[in-house]
Amino acid sequence: SSSRNVDLSKTEAQLSEHIRKATSIDETAPKRKHVRASIVYTWDHKGSASFWNGIKVQPIQADEIQTFKALITVHKVLQEGHPIALVEGQGQLSWLESIDRSVGGGEGSRGYAPLIKEYVRYLIAKLSFHRAHPEFNGTFEYEEYISLKSINDPNEGYETISELMTLQDQIDAFQKLIFAHFRNGSNNECRMAALTPLVTESYGIYKFITSMLRAMHRTLGDDEALSPLRGRYDAQHYRLVRFYYECSTLRYLTSLITIPKLPQDPPNLLADDENAPALPARPRHDEPVTKPR
Amino acid sequence: MSSVIRSVKNVTKGYSSVQVKVRNATSNDPWGPTGADMADIARITYNSTFPADLPNSSTDFYEVMDMLDKRLNDKGKNWRHVLKSLKVLDYCLHEGSELVVTWARKNIYIIKTLREFYYVDESGKDVGAAIRQSAKELTSLILDEERLRAERTNRGSWKSRVTGLEEF
Repeated sequence: SSSRNVDLSKTEAQLSEHIRKATSIDETAPKRKHVRASIVYTWDHKGSASFWNGIKVQPIQADEIQTFKALITVHKVLQEGHPIALVEGQGQLSWLESIDRSVGGGEGSRGYAPLIKEYVRYLIAKLSFHRAHPEFNGTFEYEEYISLKSINDPNEGYETISELMTLQDQIDAFQKLIFAHFRNGSNNECRMAALTPLVTESYGIYKFITSMLRAMHRTLGDDEALSPLRGRYDAQHYRLVRFYYECSTLRYLTSLITIPKLPQDPPNLLADDENAPALPARPRHDEPVTKPR
Repeated sequence: MSSVIRSVKNVTKGYSSVQVKVRNATSNDPWGPTGADMADIARITYNSTFPADLPNSSTDFYEVMDMLDKRLNDKGKNWRHVLKSLKVLDYCLHEGSELVVTWARKNIYIIKTLREFYYVDESGKDVGAAIRQSAKELTSLILDEERLRAERTNRGSWKSRVTGLEEF
């Protein structure tokens, strides 16, 4: 077997230690090392139950910073963890709702309450999208067979794109809220840390939508029917350009991730445009490429 | 200094010669791995069959990968272990046995999750940047089967990535 020689002595106790440190009380980004250990654990054990149990027993709700860091950690595990995390995450909705209720109204003593509420709303929306569309992975990495699948059924394709666009709108609302909550005299690292998965996710969704829309235009040849989606696509393009521009001014972010560079104007979906994201090659195996590798 | 401790550890912990080879190539020394080290390790990854006259060779491939795996998951302070292991893995993906390719595909999450590796050293320098860059390049290589095939047959086109490691 070519699998890793997983150290099974790495017990749940060690995982919960990583979770505890990722959600510590310090107003910083959740430490990548501990977030990564949680992600790797879900792959090694092909399960996320221990992660969910581990994070739920942490007393995170006593402190806004810890709550916010826990949500970032959850988001990262949903994105980068084993696909089972998205499935098992469906059982965590009431826990997420309890977090929403626990912060109450107002800004909260450190100003994180509105961010927590919006984050919970976003994660619930993400989870429900994935429940309806299990063919997408946590970061929406584009694979051509998805778009082929949807063109076969244009109605389903239309629906999927609309839902992705709704998710994209929610990311946009959330990122604006985060920027609006930056505080002078603070390094804002903890708030910026939430932007990292949002940049990844918004770009994944953007590439997906671009590719799916182009493929649908090519196959359907029905400009009229798709024109509402095109209008929405263009508007989202401009908002994303703005979002990425603002992220590119934050040194913390630019050192950590590559901020995507979009052309100023949206690509023409009806023509081949070299500035647009390329359509990847068709998978060469029977095996669907979004399967866990 | 660190190399002295390492050679003591190599003995006291009972590492095999293959393990020692990988440990030395991916050490905290501010130089290396050398081309010769990497070429040796890549050659060892072919020792995965079980010829009757070479009873130890069956484990060689796994010893290389397990040690690289351990190094790849090392803590921030040992960022050189991580960076050098990525370089050795890159090299082995090109010059090593097909099993290395299979291993990397199957365990890609180990490399993927290093794309956000972050560590600031005592002097305040962000030493994670090289690791993030390497992890990014390796991830896209492993996912691009066609390119990896081409690079495995066309020696040299990729070597600039794993040279220039004389100093960190």
